[in-house]
Amino acid sequence: MKRRLPLMLTVNGEEVELFVEPHWTLLEVLRDELDLTGTKEGCGEGVCGACTVLVDGKPVRACLTLALEVSGREVITVEGLAGAEGLDPLQEAFVEHGAVQCGFCTPGMLMAAKALLLEEPAPDEERIRRAISGNICRCTGYTKIVEAIASISGPAKGNPAGGKS
Amino acid sequence: MNDYSVIGKRMPRVDSRAKVTGEAKYTADLKFPRMLVGKVLRSPLPHARILHIDTTRARRLPGVKAVVTGEDTTGEKWGVFRYTRDQQFLPTDKVRYLGEEVAAVAAVDEDTALEALELIKVDYEELPAVFDPLEAMAPDAPRIHEDFPQNINIHVAIHVGDVEEGFAKSYYVREDTFRAPEESYFQGEPYAVVARFDLEGNLEIWMPNAGPHMKAKPLSNALKIPLHKVHVRKITIGGAFGGRSEISPADFICALLAQKTRRPVKIVYSREENTIATRQGHAMITTIKTGVDRQGRVIARDVTCFMDGGAYSSTGPIATSVPFLCMEQAYRMENVRYNGYRIYTNKPVRGMIRVHGRAFACGVDTQLDMIAEQLGIDPVEIRLRNAREAGDYTNTRSYVTSCAMKETIRRAAERAGWKEKWGKLPPYRGIGIGCNSVQTGFPMGIRGGSQAFIKFNEDGGATVISGVVDNGQGNDNMLVQIAAEELGLRPEDIQLVTADTEVTPLDPGAYSQVSTFIGGQAVKLAAQDARRKLLEIASEALEAHVDDLVARDRMIFVKGSPQKAIPIKKVVRMGLARGKSVSGEGAYWPKVDPKREWVTNPFGQMCEAFSFGTTIAEVEVDPETGKVKVLQVVAAQDVGFALNPLVLEGQFQGAVAMGGQGGMLTEYHFWDQGRVMNPTQLEYKLPLAPDMPPIETIIVESHDPNGPYGAKEAGMSIAMSAAQAYSAAVSNAIGVYMKEFPITPDKILQALRSKREDKE
Repeated sequence: MKRRLPLMLTVNGEEVELFVEPHWTLLEVLRDELDLTGTKEGCGEGVCGACTVLVDGKPVRACLTLALEVSGREVITVEGLAGAEGLDPLQEAFVEHGAVQCGFCTPGMLMAAKALLLEEPAPDEERIRRAISGNICRCTGYTKIVEAIASISGPAKGNPAGGKS
Repeated sequence: MNDYSVIGKRMPRVDSRAKVTGEAKYTADLKFPRMLVGKVLRSPLPHARILHIDTTRARRLPGVKAVVTGEDTTGEKWGVFRYTRDQQFLPTDKVRYLGEEVAAVAAVDEDTALEALELIKVDYEELPAVFDPLEAMAPDAPRIHEDFPQNINIHVAIHVGDVEEGFAKSYYVREDTFRAPEESYFQGEPYAVVARFDLEGNLEIWMPNAGPHMKAKPLSNALKIPLHKVHVRKITIGGAFGGRSEISPADFICALLAQKTRRPVKIVYSREENTIATRQGHAMITTIKTGVDRQGRVIARDVTCFMDGGAYSSTGPIATSVPFLCMEQAYRMENVRYNGYRIYTNKPVRGMIRVHGRAFACGVDTQLDMIAEQLGIDPVEIRLRNAREAGDYTNTRSYVTSCAMKETIRRAAERAGWKEKWGKLPPYRGIGIGCNSVQTGFPMGIRGGSQAFIKFNEDGGATVISGVVDNGQGNDNMLVQIAAEELGLRPEDIQLVTADTEVTPLDPGAYSQVSTFIGGQAVKLAAQDARRKLLEIASEALEAHVDDLVARDRMIFVKGSPQKAIPIKKVVRMGLARGKSVSGEGAYWPKVDPKREWVTNPFGQMCEAFSFGTTIAEVEVDPETGKVKVLQVVAAQDVGFALNPLVLEGQFQGAVAMGGQGGMLTEYHFWDQGRVMNPTQLEYKLPLAPDMPPIETIIVESHDPNGPYGAKEAGMSIAMSAAQAYSAAVSNAIGVYMKEFPITPDKILQALRSKREDKE
């Protein structure tokens, strides 16, 4: 048996306790241990952004983050965006604006956009494009993704807490 | 004016909700009890004989459940065509590119599987390798496949009319050569396969695919199990772009490991493996000689293209032909000759990719601009003079039923402000235009047609059963829209069962833009069949003739008197209670020439419809850095009819990103002795959000009489014309016609330097 260490963290508002090998990444723990497969692996080296999740509200590459690094912290994945009342307005906007094609980059894109809106509720287009510049989309040319994010930017929109509401 | 209730509307896609919540399952997300991890050992050499493989130590490693090599296979070779059977999924004799599959393991976890790979010992006898297609054709070059002299894998030869005579008659003739290295697909999702067998020996398998039936048949052949026992299942797919068109060795290897272990096995490719061991786009050297009359009309064109095919055939005959066909569809020519050579090299395998060869498409258009300049004709005008028109036959004898090429040119030029800008922009600003055409499918033998079933459920909803696959482009939504429209239901009333070879009937797959035209058509016919049965039942209840009844918004009513209505749900239940069929079936077979063949007979009706696209790009070049800033792009396409403008716009915008922004400015592979030096997004530069210009989309509708509701294709004409527009715009900005793609800053600076030196 390989050596495993205890890890406690909050994922999408729920406290999670598990034992992990020291080299496991946050992505491996989310996908393989917690079955939260919404977070995708597109490159495994921090370039494509498909694995973006929020750690204490900041966007983080789950593939480059060791699971033990997020001990005691709050992680939000794409599965945590929708609340009891339905989709997050950001998710609604992606659907309505046709910002989703193959959908593989979508979870990471949503989390990067969420992080932006948490920090800056009314970003301009340039700021939006910069905020998602670490997320590669091969299908859309980004136009509709930017439109979707812009459509809900502005004060008092969106679900600032994320997670279960 | 049409009166559709679902078709033609800006409808958000039915699959997007599951994708924004993370619930959509892609292959790598699947997990089964006792599932093993599969890993592939790859060749470290570009060309070598396999002398011996020792798997003893790997097999002894605790946690390893199976190790397979070429010895565990029948050794048969696979090819998309009978005459291209050249690839063993696990080679027994030699490896032909660096990264080729040599052995594979299945183990309880990834760490164990990786450790096992290191314990496999392969003795190779290294052979001389060749990496350049022209060198590979030399008489003394190493032979990569014994039965292909000079490493010529495919030679497509077409000659219509007499080009020599045409050149003799021409007012102006010029010849230019254009070059481009390989590009890659970089689908969002790296390749993955999950396979398992049940107690009856049925194989269940999931993988990203462009046609489940196209995966099932070769798997059945290779595994020697009956076709009906191969169940390729539906799964969400993270992009294809032509790169998932045929069986992958990983499909076979994963199934073989599952067969040996009697356990589910999952193989997930790394990004590097996805680049090296799936497919890449062909590198290309294209020489184009064109002769025109005084007005710039093409009298003769002679094109010779050398394509670097890599180690195996893949879709070679198609890939060698399509660049030429797209060009001959777009432009009229009196005489034309084409010699397309696909050459084997010791590099990864090349397949079809969205732009079908930058050095081809951009070469023809660049040369047209050169000719226009020579004759003092505006680039827009020379394209209008050569543009394809409805009612034409292409040189290889395809009848073009609908064509609004000229309208795409005019409308794009108008929207882009061409007249105000051409020749009047400040230094280092440029504007350029590109035009192209894409075929809606091609003769595909038994899998050339599509069939569909519709089943009404007792709640009044319906289930659509179709072989059409959705790679991400929105095919699922297309089927739902068509079925809802025809059945008089709402999109949310439609359930889809698609892309599953156990359940769904034959379909060509999402190749060459056929899904709407053929698969959509089959669903439309099936829905009409089901509707007719419903209306017959309703006609008794409403005491009206079937022809006077309309199904719309969950109701069946008498035309002109909507108060005489009955809910569809009730009609379905009446039918069920009386033992009457409330289901439908439809089949669509495209009217193509079945005798047309890529190499032996490249003549006859290719497909039923052709799309036409024009893109105009405006750029600014920094003469100090060679950096290109794209200011605006206008993309206009004749799509036949827009089934869903929201989805179409997304296709156009993505096409500009892939064909233009990435394809023309940044994307290419570089090599060291057969090794790809930039296999991941770290050094292979894909367009990012801040790179992209504003994109204006213009949907042009020519209403093809054979297309469903008049629709044709949507995914490629813009990608190809965008590539041409980008290269033309940069050439215009710097005053040098660029002939090597992509046009990276170093090439621009070099061009500017040469221009200065020429002046001095």
